[in-house]
Amino acid sequence: MATANEERERDGLFSFLSRRRFLKLSLVAGGTILGVGGAGVLALRGRAPKVEGLQVLDAHEYQTLQRLVVVMLPQTAAIPVDAAAMDLPRAFDDFLANEPEHNVEDLKKALVLIELGPLVFEKKLTTFSRLSAADRAEHWNAWAVSDNLLRRQVSIAMRKFFNLVYFDHEQVWPHIGYPGPSMKRTKGVTP
Amino acid sequence: MSGAILDLSKEAMPDGFSAEVCVIGSGSGGATAARLMAEAGHEVVVLEEGRDLVGPERTQRDAPMYDQLYMDRGGRASHDLSVSVLQGRVLGGGGVINTCDVVPIPDGVLQHWAVKYGLEDYAPERFKPFTEDALADLSASRIPESLVNLANAKLRQGADALGLRGEVMLHNRVGCRGLGTCLIGCPIHAKRNPRMVALPKAIEAGARIFTRARAVKVQNASQELKEIEVRALDPGGYHEQNELKIRAKIVIIAANAVSSAQLLLRSGIGNAHVGKNLMLQPQLPIIGIFDERIAAFDGIPQSYAVTAFEQEDNHEFGLWGFRIEGIMGTPGIVSSLLPFSGAPGMEGMAQYDRMAPSLLLAPDAPSGRVEVARDGRLTIRYEQRDNHRERLRQAVEAAAKVYLEAGAREVLVPTVPALVIRSAREAKQARELRFAAATAPMLSAHQQGTVRFAASERDGGADLNGQVYGTRDVYVFDSSGFPSSASSHTMTPIIASSRMLTSKLLTRI
Repeated sequence: MATANEERERDGLFSFLSRRRFLKLSLVAGGTILGVGGAGVLALRGRAPKVEGLQVLDAHEYQTLQRLVVVMLPQTAAIPVDAAAMDLPRAFDDFLANEPEHNVEDLKKALVLIELGPLVFEKKLTTFSRLSAADRAEHWNAWAVSDNLLRRQVSIAMRKFFNLVYFDHEQVWPHIGYPGPSMKRTKGVTP
Repeated sequence: MSGAILDLSKEAMPDGFSAEVCVIGSGSGGATAARLMAEAGHEVVVLEEGRDLVGPERTQRDAPMYDQLYMDRGGRASHDLSVSVLQGRVLGGGGVINTCDVVPIPDGVLQHWAVKYGLEDYAPERFKPFTEDALADLSASRIPESLVNLANAKLRQGADALGLRGEVMLHNRVGCRGLGTCLIGCPIHAKRNPRMVALPKAIEAGARIFTRARAVKVQNASQELKEIEVRALDPGGYHEQNELKIRAKIVIIAANAVSSAQLLLRSGIGNAHVGKNLMLQPQLPIIGIFDERIAAFDGIPQSYAVTAFEQEDNHEFGLWGFRIEGIMGTPGIVSSLLPFSGAPGMEGMAQYDRMAPSLLLAPDAPSGRVEVARDGRLTIRYEQRDNHRERLRQAVEAAAKVYLEAGAREVLVPTVPALVIRSAREAKQARELRFAAATAPMLSAHQQGTVRFAASERDGGADLNGQVYGTRDVYVFDSSGFPSSASSHTMTPIIASSRMLTSKLLTRI
């Protein structure tokens, strides 16, 4: 079997949040979190409903992603397809189950950062999941254009994964004018 | 044992396996070398980390195909996420997932390499036969007019109206039906790529090909008999299962400029040049949005290129300037490149069938680095240079004018914040683009450099035969050796170069 070190071969989109960088960010955020206190952070986060069958994520992380997905991929008049009904967080859980350990660690840190984002970056005594839907959208949209490189990176990673999976769903295609894979609609084409 | 493909996730490799030649990587460089060596009567084994994914298994769906056909499941990127590094991980390598562009190394670049870097074998007249053989391998031909789709026709229309030079590109498809999903594999195998040409010929000549086989280390590199440490992967390619050893006298590494350098560094092989001089040739997407339906997802995604701004004989860099090439992807990948989240993102994707996207391709100077940390973790360190940013600004301005001239309602530059251009006058706003880290969806499909060929150990990582300095018969036959950007598309240059280097090797053994 491969050792943990040998599994750490890959770098990239899902392994950007190194321990060093997370530590640095934690120091920046530390003042705020210390001010609130560990118990205070736990109280702010509250309880998350139990979710059956998760392989990697815990209930809190799953809840954060549920909220995030709705913000990133809202139902609109143009594309009235409910992302929440697709259980995209579970797709993320499935994805993580086959990622190297260091990527899983990094992405879990990113989820903590998203959940505590209002506290860490806006000094608000609340969490991402507890924001109103409108405030959550405003808060998340600020990540993509932030001066903070790490926030932009988290935004890119989340957008890349969830957009890829959401727009791969057939229910979405009629609303974007995509007729689906050409093999299914091209007569007489055989491998 | 005769030539065959063996999937190590399902079948055990014969115990104590050895071969005369071990080729690591099954893409353009590796497949070509394996074929020529096997046809010359040598005993050859090929190691490929990906699997052999063929026919209807190529489902034309974003999520499973990026997962199975690309390195790191499509997630490979530079250290700060500024550039997505698209690298094939499938039997046949990058040729399976590219857009089939056949662009040989221009004579100006070959001359530049011969004069500036002393690569005399690449001098235009000497290298010409190898390019011709590569073009024959690829069944290269001009894309028929009937397969130029509306998106590419719009690009041509705008360029023609502005008097800009361009061309319908050469490609390596035979029997193409315009299925449109070249980037995630052709389900009818219309690409005459290494998977369909060189590898079958290698097998016919007796080569054995192991898939789901990750080469992690080359040991005894200075001795006659090398030992390659291999990990068999699970069927999904996610986890390493068991360790194997292969012995070989000759090791040819052709695993892509990133992975070849990674393997050498991890093995502790080579001099201080190994890993340096990486070129990612980052490309920026730009999207013309029309009022009419364009359906760019139908037909060949990349068939027309505006070449008016390209330089093939820049004194300092060789290939320079920029080009504009039509492109399209399936919905998942296109949406992930858009700069919006939330409702604006949904509004953006609602225009998917009215998009005519292009890639702005600007060659870069060798400036990046592949690193492998003590714990084995790979880092692709890459900082975009000012001279690249500046040409991208010019490219954005030019491409915006082209699309507007062709009747686009607006042109979207997918930076954060997004830039939307609605008139030729507004196109000047491109001059203000900063391209700060992780603010533009740059893509790299043509990684080069990292084990530069040089006549002296002082100047590069491998000699003029492709032999890695400090080794005995350990070679790199892929784009790792290119000292500057070879071409706007690297498949043909790699095949031609591998043909030349393999021919030289055959004369010595």
